[in-house]
Amino acid sequence: MQHVALTSFNKERCRPFFDKLTEYFHQHHQSEEGDADGYEELLYRVRRPYTPEMLDMIDSWMGLEKRDWREETQREVMLALYAIRYPDTLLLESFTEKARSDLRRLSAYLHFTNHTYAIWDDDTRMGLVKLGIEIPATNTVDPFVYGAYVSAIELLKDVAPFTCFIEHDVPRQRLFQAALAAYGRE
Amino acid sequence: MADTEVVADYTQNFEGWIDDFNEWQTRIGFDPSWLGDYRFDIKFDWDTAGNQIEFGDFEGKPKWNRRMQIPQQTIRDAIINMVSVQGDTEFASVEQQNHLLASAPTEYDRKSALRIMCEEQRHGWQMAYLLCTFFGEQGMREAAKLLERNAQEGTRILGSFNAPIDHWLDFFCFTHFIDRDGKYQLKMLSTSSFKPLAASMGPMLKEESFHLGTGANGLRRIVKQGVIPCELLQKYVNKWVSTGLDLFGTDDSTSAQWAYVYGVKGRYDEREAQEPADREHLNEASRDLYFQELRDEMRRISKVRKEGEPELYIPSDKFMRGIGKFAGKRYTVHGEEFEGDDVAWDEYVSTVTPTDEDESRLVNEYMQQEWIQYREWKGN
Repeated sequence: MQHVALTSFNKERCRPFFDKLTEYFHQHHQSEEGDADGYEELLYRVRRPYTPEMLDMIDSWMGLEKRDWREETQREVMLALYAIRYPDTLLLESFTEKARSDLRRLSAYLHFTNHTYAIWDDDTRMGLVKLGIEIPATNTVDPFVYGAYVSAIELLKDVAPFTCFIEHDVPRQRLFQAALAAYGRE
Repeated sequence: MADTEVVADYTQNFEGWIDDFNEWQTRIGFDPSWLGDYRFDIKFDWDTAGNQIEFGDFEGKPKWNRRMQIPQQTIRDAIINMVSVQGDTEFASVEQQNHLLASAPTEYDRKSALRIMCEEQRHGWQMAYLLCTFFGEQGMREAAKLLERNAQEGTRILGSFNAPIDHWLDFFCFTHFIDRDGKYQLKMLSTSSFKPLAASMGPMLKEESFHLGTGANGLRRIVKQGVIPCELLQKYVNKWVSTGLDLFGTDDSTSAQWAYVYGVKGRYDEREAQEPADREHLNEASRDLYFQELRDEMRRISKVRKEGEPELYIPSDKFMRGIGKFAGKRYTVHGEEFEGDDVAWDEYVSTVTPTDEDESRLVNEYMQQEWIQYREWKGN
C-alpha cells in the first residue's frame, strides 16, 4: 500500500498546498488545539531517561485520557522508544494488544522522544488524501498504515520548495504535519 | 620536492576526499558515532534551479551543466572561488562549535546543535562534491584545502569563522546572526548560471531554516528567562552583528559585479526584484536587506524581556566594521561619530562589547543559574 501511495504521487497537485504551507502551519500550530507553547515546552521537557510522568505530560498535551496500561505494557513501550530507529515502524507490530490500541497516543510518544516520527492525526491524514496520497483511517496501530503516513510526510519534505521551510526550531515533521492538519480541515 | 610529488599529495577523486573527510572528523574531535543514522547525501533540486541564465551578460542562454560549457576560465575561477568559500564556512562552523555538545543546556538543544553540525558537514560535503566532480584537478585541490584550513588555527577564509564560540550564548548568536548571512549567500547562489551550484542551494536552504530558528528561539528563551541582563546580552549582539555585516564583503565590490555579469551570483531577491540591479553596489544592497531583517527579528526577540529590562536593538551598521567604507572608523553603536582619543575609544568599546570580566560573569555567575528557559527537567 505504501508503494502504491507513493508511486502515484503527483507533485503538481501539491503546489497550492506548498504555496500556503507556512500559513497552514501557523493556523494549526498557533490554534487552541495546537497549543504552540505547550508543544514547544514538551520538546525540551521530554528527555532521556524517559519516565511515566513524561508520557503523562504528552497525554495531557494531546488531550488523551489517562493510560490504562499494565506495568509490563508501559515498560514494553518505553523500551521501544529507545530502540526504534526512524523510519522503521515494524517494531510496533510486536507490541501487545493494549499498546497497539491507540495510534494517536503511540505516535505522540514517538514524536516527542525521537522528533522524527509524525503525530498521527485524522485531519493530517485527510490533508494527505487531498494531495492524492491515500492513507486508510485507523485508530489502532498498524505499522504499515503508520509507515505509509510517516513516509508520505517525509516525501513531502523532500519535494517541497525551500520557501516552505520557515525559520523555526520545531522538527520539520511537525511543520508539515501541522500544515497538513489545517489543510485537511479546510 | 618534484612537482609530481606535490600533485600526488592531493586526493584524486571524491572517493579519496571522503577518506580525508573521515580523518578530518577525528582530528577535530567530532565522533562519527554522533551521526547515528544520518547520511551525507548529495542533494539537488533541479526543478527550482531553472534552465536559463537569469541575469547578467549571458541572460537567456542555457545554464551551464558542466565545466566545459562555461565560456571563460575567469568564470570557472569565480565559480570555484564561490564554492570554496561556501564549503570553507561549513566545515569551519563545526570546528568552532563541536566542543559545545558537552555543555548543552537541554537534551533538545544538544540534539539541535548536533543536527546543525551534521547538516553543515553535509553542506561542506556537497560543495566538495561539486569541486571534485566538475572542476578536475583544480577542484580537487580546493576540496582538499577545505579540510586543511582550520578555525582553531585561524586559517579559515572569513573572519567570523575563525572567531571562538566559547559558550551557548555565542552559539545562539552565531546561528542567529552568522547563519542568517549564510542564508543570504545560499539564496544569492540559488539562481546561479552554473546549474549544479544553483540546484545544490534548495536543499541547503531547507536545512538552514532550522539553524536560524534554533538561534532565534535560543535568544528568545534567554531573554524570556531574564537571568542574563539585557545590558549584557546587548554587548554580545553588538559583537556579532558587526562581524555578520562584514561577511557581505566590500562596498563597490568589483568581484561581486563580475559575479553578477557572469550570472554566477545574483541578488538576494533576484527572482522577486522588479528593478534592474545596481551592479556597482550589489554587496551593499544585500547587506541592507540583511540589516533590516536583523532589526525586525530583534524587535520580536526583545518583546519577551522582563519588565524593567532595556529593549534590545541592532547596533548601527557603522559600528566596529572591519570591511567597507566604515572600516577602521570610530562610530558609536547608535551610528554617531566618536569623538575622543584612543584611550577614550577603548574605554567606550569595553562598555558596548563583551570584556573578559563580562565573559567571566556570564559563565561563572549567570550560566550557573537557570539562565535559559527549560534548562532543567524538574518533574511536576
